[in-house]
Amino acid sequence: MLKFIGKKILILIPKLLLISLIVFLGLQLLPGDAVTRTVSPEAYQYMTEEQLEALRDSLGLNDPILIQYFRWLGRFLTGDFGYSQASGSNIAQMLAGRLPYTIELAGWAVVIADLIGILFGFVAAVRKNKPIDHILTSGSVLGISVPEFFFGLVFILIFSLKLNWLPTGGRMAAGETGFFSRVRYMILPAFTLSIALLATLTRYTRGCMLDVLNKDYIKTARSKGLGDFVVNVKHGLRNALPPVLVLLCFRLPILVSGTVIVETVFNYPAMGSMILDAISAADMTVVMVTTMVVACVTLIASNLVDILTAALDPRVRLD
Amino acid sequence: MTRDDIVLEVKDLKTRFKVGKKIVNAVNGATFSLKRGKTLCIVGESGCGKSVTAHSILQLLPPVGYIEGGEVLYTPHTGDRPKSLSSMKRSGRAIRSIRGKEISMIFQDPMSTLNPVYTIGNQIMENLRHHEKISKAEARERIVRLLTELGIPEADRRFDEYPHQFSGGMKQRVMIAIAMICNPNILIADEPTTALDVTIQAQILELMQKMQQEHGTSVILITHNMGIVAEVADDVAVMYMGRVVEFGSLRQIFTNPKHPYTRALMRSVPVLGMDRSQELASIAGSTPDASTVFTGCEFANRCVHATDRCRNHFPEDREVEDGHRVRCFLYEEEMKQ
Repeated sequence: MLKFIGKKILILIPKLLLISLIVFLGLQLLPGDAVTRTVSPEAYQYMTEEQLEALRDSLGLNDPILIQYFRWLGRFLTGDFGYSQASGSNIAQMLAGRLPYTIELAGWAVVIADLIGILFGFVAAVRKNKPIDHILTSGSVLGISVPEFFFGLVFILIFSLKLNWLPTGGRMAAGETGFFSRVRYMILPAFTLSIALLATLTRYTRGCMLDVLNKDYIKTARSKGLGDFVVNVKHGLRNALPPVLVLLCFRLPILVSGTVIVETVFNYPAMGSMILDAISAADMTVVMVTTMVVACVTLIASNLVDILTAALDPRVRLD
Repeated sequence: MTRDDIVLEVKDLKTRFKVGKKIVNAVNGATFSLKRGKTLCIVGESGCGKSVTAHSILQLLPPVGYIEGGEVLYTPHTGDRPKSLSSMKRSGRAIRSIRGKEISMIFQDPMSTLNPVYTIGNQIMENLRHHEKISKAEARERIVRLLTELGIPEADRRFDEYPHQFSGGMKQRVMIAIAMICNPNILIADEPTTALDVTIQAQILELMQKMQQEHGTSVILITHNMGIVAEVADDVAVMYMGRVVEFGSLRQIFTNPKHPYTRALMRSVPVLGMDRSQELASIAGSTPDASTVFTGCEFANRCVHATDRCRNHFPEDREVEDGHRVRCFLYEEEMKQ
């Protein structure tokens, strides 16, 4: 098993290199270069061609693209992410101030979506065609089809403006950095972010459970005299979970796009708004780094699938 | 025949399935009894309600299935007052304490009846420890002993293996172990050998008979294989369209079949050494749809002796000789004499 996990991690390295190369080359295709983007238009007007050329030389922009790529890669690997072209601030410091909050937000969203989604799916399957099943399945259709920002706005309207229970946005109040004072700011964004995943998990868990409940070994379990709950959980849910977890892992990267929207709606300054700002300001150095972060998350998530499947299903042993 | 030696009695059992708005009469009046320590075979073609009958006994029906009428009476020990299994709550405590402990089941396809994510030892232990308060070590010892008895080599090592590491025949042995670990009074085997190849079939049947002899278990064996019936049955119930049309001892059914359906069934079975040029008889017509509502005998449309009376009236169950019961108008005259 350890060998299997080790192998999986080793394979990540060439994949990430390839992705970084593609992202790097892709960004070269955009019109303009670092000089046209960093030098202000007024200054640019009065600069001579020689001055621009000299600036390009000093920035290494006249070197062959592959040399530029490897230079960037070398710095990236040593933790030197460079500076934002738009604001000039250190990207590593920007990430340090934002990534943890996105991880926290997305983490809670995943936990909420998992617990509630799997529970809802389980209940809907066990009570198939009963009123509760109809409520949950139609609710999940709503959750999948209505975009996040809409739920975000509705939540703000109800829980912040009407009921005045929770803040409308922000990450924390001034001077309050403790976990419990931050939690109040996280509840609405985390729930909003979890809805799409929650709804998908509800439907998928229900489907997998119904599939499993039709299996002969469920009949065997019932023929042993086990109670309904034990049969449904120990023999039903246990077999329905692996495909659900696979789906969950594949959906994790979607949270990234979700955070972009939800962080904007709730004015929650973290990775999502950083990506958004960087793209709208054509801040290529930041886009490059944030894209790599997203790529890492996606790759790790999809590799997690293989490891989880192997851990949960005794028939899968990939040593 | 005294009441005492009957361990399970099924009286006019009716099981329905609600499929959408349609009601399917899967079992439409099954009557038979199982003698203590004996083997009863339920035979009939596919879709005649054999399996549903078996599942109805323990109320192991899918959510859309329900027992509408009739009674299943179970007498745990000679002289006990019979318990009505059919009137117990579907997954209530009463019937659950009987399932797996006093009456257990083996199903058709051993490939799919074992849970793939638990070791076979775990799955046998689940049944044993659910019904008996014994330690894990004790349970393991008892299970390994039974597995060895069932011809599983290196049982102690294989205890910790998963179902996918076993062959079909071995899996069915594991199923038998699950069914037999609590020493049940009745074992219901629903076509236990259909999914296995012929040599393994013989081994599994032999094992079941051995278990029956050693533990004094009464067995209900569901099959459509007349060869198996001839080999293991004490009594035979012939089912057609959800009804037991004939019930009697093996000798009565095989040497003196009364119901036209049983007779046709017997003629359609190839016998070793029969004349090769002789064509096997098939039963004319085809099995009606299970949701058909009959006003008379279900077999009338395919029966060579059918009269108008057969089509419009339903024949009652009558005893033509000791313990030999037939649902057919043909034998009414005989009875009156």
